[in-house]
Amino acid sequence: MRPRKTLNDRLMAWKMSGGFKQIAADVFERSKRNRMVGLGFTIIIIMIALALLAPFLPLATPTHPLDYDPLLKPSLKHHWFGTDENGIDVFSRVIFGARVSLTVASVAIVLSMLIGVVLGLTAGYFGGWVDYLIAGTIDLFWTFPAFLLALAFAAALGPSLENVILAISISYWAGFARLMRGQVLTVRERLFVEASRALGANHRRIMFTHVLPNCLAPLIVWASVGVADAITIESSLSFLGAGTQPPTPSWGYMLKSGMPFLEEAWWISTFPGVVLLITILGFNLLGDGMRDVLDPRMKGMRR
Amino acid sequence: MADLISYVIRKIILAIPVIILATFIVFLMMYLTGDPIQAIKPPHASADDLQKLREKYGFDQPFPVQYGKFLWNLVNGDLGNSIAVGSMNVPVVNLLKPKLVNTLELMLIGLTISYSLGIPLGIYSALRQNRIGDRGVMVFTLIAYAMPSFWLGILLALLFAVYLGWLDLQGSIGGWRSIILPAMTLGFGNAALTTRMMRSSMLEVIRQDYITQLRSRGLPEREIIFKHAVKNAILPVITVIGLDIGWFVAGAVVVETMFSWNGIGRLLTDSILTANFPVVQGCILILAIFVVLGNLMADILYAYVDPRVRLG
Repeated sequence: MRPRKTLNDRLMAWKMSGGFKQIAADVFERSKRNRMVGLGFTIIIIMIALALLAPFLPLATPTHPLDYDPLLKPSLKHHWFGTDENGIDVFSRVIFGARVSLTVASVAIVLSMLIGVVLGLTAGYFGGWVDYLIAGTIDLFWTFPAFLLALAFAAALGPSLENVILAISISYWAGFARLMRGQVLTVRERLFVEASRALGANHRRIMFTHVLPNCLAPLIVWASVGVADAITIESSLSFLGAGTQPPTPSWGYMLKSGMPFLEEAWWISTFPGVVLLITILGFNLLGDGMRDVLDPRMKGMRR
Repeated sequence: MADLISYVIRKIILAIPVIILATFIVFLMMYLTGDPIQAIKPPHASADDLQKLREKYGFDQPFPVQYGKFLWNLVNGDLGNSIAVGSMNVPVVNLLKPKLVNTLELMLIGLTISYSLGIPLGIYSALRQNRIGDRGVMVFTLIAYAMPSFWLGILLALLFAVYLGWLDLQGSIGGWRSIILPAMTLGFGNAALTTRMMRSSMLEVIRQDYITQLRSRGLPEREIIFKHAVKNAILPVITVIGLDIGWFVAGAVVVETMFSWNGIGRLLTDSILTANFPVVQGCILILAIFVVLGNLMADILYAYVDPRVRLG
């Protein structure tokens, strides 16, 4: 009988295989012992699980007003987080709010990563006037606070879920592009790039199969921190009324709508606030921890 | 000195494209909102009237011409007129001017709070590296950094204004007791960053040879830390104060809105909600200029402190 492969064997096999699998195995191996990564990862997994499973859990409808009496106190028996001023179960709104926040943040970050990677890769790889043009644009976008840009775009496009995603993506990409460009500048001088060029590989092939995989580690770190930032931006936009519109449950809007009731019904604002903080903390912990693990030189780079 | 001056001039020239990009984004906003004439037209305008309005405001001209005109007006200090019901046709510049002082005041006090909290915490944390005090400070910075400003504001207001009654929530019309809460909310997240930077800068300095040398000469530890180490460690932290302006500008929008502070940030959100786009444009431009000036200040201070930078 063939012995069963343990997780460790598989990890070893991945490490030998090169490319994406090797990087994944490497990241896993190195961050296993880091407590920050562990804690952040746990928080994120729990939040994602709750968000994904929300429609299948026995939760009250998060958008129907007057299902229950308004302003009911939290109790273990009926409403864990109480009910809000419209008689909606706060726990259910918080969980469905996680769906909205995580979707907006991750889609926005994936989009801005795409923009950033393509622009950063092009600038760093080709150099010359292409680099001059793109690097200039990157610097311009990098100078402005992403939140201010996102607010401007969200205001111009009009408040809706899709527009918030769009606004965040076009405001946040500069960080990815900067990072990518810096990485490419060093990677493109390495011998294997020259070798594949000598073998006749075209630019696209060299860029995406040789240069890109070698720049991935810091991108992962930046993406994790980016999701935290995107959640903050989304909830701030909703708090100001320029983001996700009611009745869509959104943490920022819930905090705002609970503000007038803080003294008699603290739970309307407090629970979404606490969950929001924990989620942002989770992504920050994961990002900071992975950065320390993967590349100690990047310490303190984030501002 | 000559190289410093040429460096500063170079940096000022490099800041111009950033400002131009800001004007372009702000101008583009009008187009993303759809037909700008819809916002200004009288309620029962006919198609003919609309055409006349378009010609009057120059909306019938090609895009580059319109942008050029926009820039020209800007250079002459004309940001257009407000189109909201309460302030119809008031020049945007007149709306912005009185708010500018309020925002600057709030940011200045926020900056002070942030640095007077962050620097001592960073020093303390570095001197206790890896001990319980350091761990505590690091946990505090993690939470303070992750905390969205509006949520922090609610908590601080509840604690200091509602339960303890020490501070007021009267917004910009109140006295000094009203400015502390918004300024604290604004400065807190940045205090976390300052703490971290001060800690790592301090850790670097106290490992250097001249500190060991001072110890071996038998100087009291207190004197070594405060007279020699802190002086050198604090330099890289305060030279980048300008870079924090970005954080404060973004924070000011949220904080001013929630504490009814009568500044640019609140004007911005109010104008967004009433679709008063000329005012939105003006606010964003002013805030962008803050950020650019902050960056410029950091660059110059940095070059002043570290002469090697000037040559780059």
